Amino acid sequence: MLQIRNLHVSVAGKPILKGVDLTVQPGEVHAIMGPNGSGKSTLAQVLAGRDGYDITEGSVHYLDQDLLPLTPEERARAGIFLAFQYPLEIPGVANVQLLRTALNGQRRARGEAEMDAIDFLEYVKDKLVLLGMDDSFLYRSVNEGFSGGEKKRNEILQMAVLEPRLAILDETDSGLDIDALHVVAQGVNSLRNGARAIILVTHYQRLLNYIVPDQVHVLAGGRIVRSGGSELAEELERKGYAWLGDEAEFMETYL
Amino acid sequence: MITPTAYREALSRIDAPSSFAALRQTALRKFLQAGLPDSRQEDWRYTSLRHLERMPLHAPAAMPETLPALEDYPGALLAYLDDRLVWQDTTLPATVLGVLADAIGTETPAAFGNLAGNGLVGSSLTQLNAALWREGACLRVPAGERLRQPVFLRFAAAEADAMLYPRVFINMAVGSDAILVEHFLGDPGIAYWQNPVTEIVLEAGARLTHLRIVEDSNLATHTGLTAVHLGQDSNYRALNLTFGGLVARHELNVTLAGVGAEVRLDGVFIADGLRGAEQHLRIVHQAPRGKSRTLYRGLADGRGRGVFDARVEVRPHADGSDAQQSSRNLLLSPHAEIDAKPQLEIYADDVKCGHGATVGSLDEDALFYLRSRGIDGDSARQLLLHAFVGEALGLLDDTGLRDWLMPRLLARMPRSHLLEPRPWTH
Repeated sequence: MLQIRNLHVSVAGKPILKGVDLTVQPGEVHAIMGPNGSGKSTLAQVLAGRDGYDITEGSVHYLDQDLLPLTPEERARAGIFLAFQYPLEIPGVANVQLLRTALNGQRRARGEAEMDAIDFLEYVKDKLVLLGMDDSFLYRSVNEGFSGGEKKRNEILQMAVLEPRLAILDETDSGLDIDALHVVAQGVNSLRNGARAIILVTHYQRLLNYIVPDQVHVLAGGRIVRSGGSELAEELERKGYAWLGDEAEFMETYL
Repeated sequence: MITPTAYREALSRIDAPSSFAALRQTALRKFLQAGLPDSRQEDWRYTSLRHLERMPLHAPAAMPETLPALEDYPGALLAYLDDRLVWQDTTLPATVLGVLADAIGTETPAAFGNLAGNGLVGSSLTQLNAALWREGACLRVPAGERLRQPVFLRFAAAEADAMLYPRVFINMAVGSDAILVEHFLGDPGIAYWQNPVTEIVLEAGARLTHLRIVEDSNLATHTGLTAVHLGQDSNYRALNLTFGGLVARHELNVTLAGVGAEVRLDGVFIADGLRGAEQHLRIVHQAPRGKSRTLYRGLADGRGRGVFDARVEVRPHADGSDAQQSSRNLLLSPHAEIDAKPQLEIYADDVKCGHGATVGSLDEDALFYLRSRGIDGDSARQLLLHAFVGEALGLLDDTGLRDWLMPRLLARMPRSHLLEPRPWTH
């Protein structure tokens, strides 16, 4: 589904990603872990099509098509979804308006009929229940005055409504208390299926207790320095990132 | 230099009642002495009216033969075309709503001409209006009465190079209540000059909600003045919308003269293409415990130029006044410009005053957020722009005029020029 080959990315002339390789198959959940500043968020933003990142080398293919020339909206319509680490507040735009505009934008692009307001409400109600949100969330301005946990839940609500093929969750666990983490994880787990791939970007192993990944990758110094099963996350939890230091430093210096 | 001939000629064509002829002569003389305002005057440093001197301006010719196709106006309507009343649709008695010249013919409303300037005082443009207004409109709501329907005054232009001087006088008697909509517009593609003056008097406890919509042609010049006088515990709420005119300028002078008067001034202006849109507000707190709220949103695109210039004066003895201003402005192109100039002058005690003014560009992070959900760039911008101006449109719900107005506003929202999305092949 997703093939990243030797991806090099710079921001304002400074190299951040220095040759990332990653392959994700449909139905898989991958966790990308790593210390602060390792380039985790950069990778998530680049996949979503954010401006301001220079791709200096390498390629990204999604569903056998070159992903990099596509605009953010084209990627979204092709089924890519990024749950933001810091979801934006948009005063004056109601949540329901965003959700319906987004869903219908995607349906139009796929040649499907748009959903009218009544059908949409019916459709979105089940998703709200899934995330323990009440109807009032629909009519509040997008993320305005939401608590940290509400913002993260709102991201997963958007994911549930848009039903992406590849979801990238950027630090969705940060700032969540244990109850909120539970709700969010439950929401994500319910969206796991054989056709959908999920990439979890996270600093901590905590989230992976609730959403068990098929593969774990450690990103350090702009490269993936380790890959393994979910036991790798537990090892990181026990030992921290420091024991990777030598390895990461070696790669930075000599590769 | 202005050539006085056009103005003298215009005056000679007005068969004014003799009681006003002398006043008109005086007003014209004063205008000709002062001339058009120019950029040396502080209030006029942004706008040039020099182009008016090069236009073959003249008073509109005789009554147009064909009636314009009128939009649907959900209320009482007086429709003017080139300064003449061409259509009315109202069940209100003539003593309440009618032509100003007729109202003055029988009895001059006591306050008429005092607020804006009656030829003796006021700016040169106001004097010009005092000299050359023709039929005008007059709304006098009797004490304690509440008008069930909005009153629409439509001032349209159809003749190229016409000089138009709409004149409106509104008197809200004690405890009365009404909704007024002034709508200025003109045939697309013609240049003309509207120089309207509206005077509004609110007696004690009266309430008026006032929508003023400038939708003049993109070649037109609009220089308008609204002067409002508030009595004790009266309430004036206004929504000023400027979507049209090559040069569109509105001066709004509000005096809170009675104790406990309340004012809410909302506005949206859009300056795109080569257009200029200027809002000059002057809010004078004269009496204790007055409250004023100002909330304007400005958009400039292309080489558009916007100005928000608002001065709040809290006079001595106007203790306990409360004045808040908010002006937020968005620039949508690197060549657009908006100047926001809020000012406070306080000479009283125990006063709560504040203002906030920002000029910025569309939030790129918010734009990316929306696009990452599959909303195309153009729609995402529109969504953000609608939300931005929407903050100033609360009065549309209070007046029930949202459905009537929104299509007009949406048609004038700046469009972006992003590429069409490529089709996705899967």
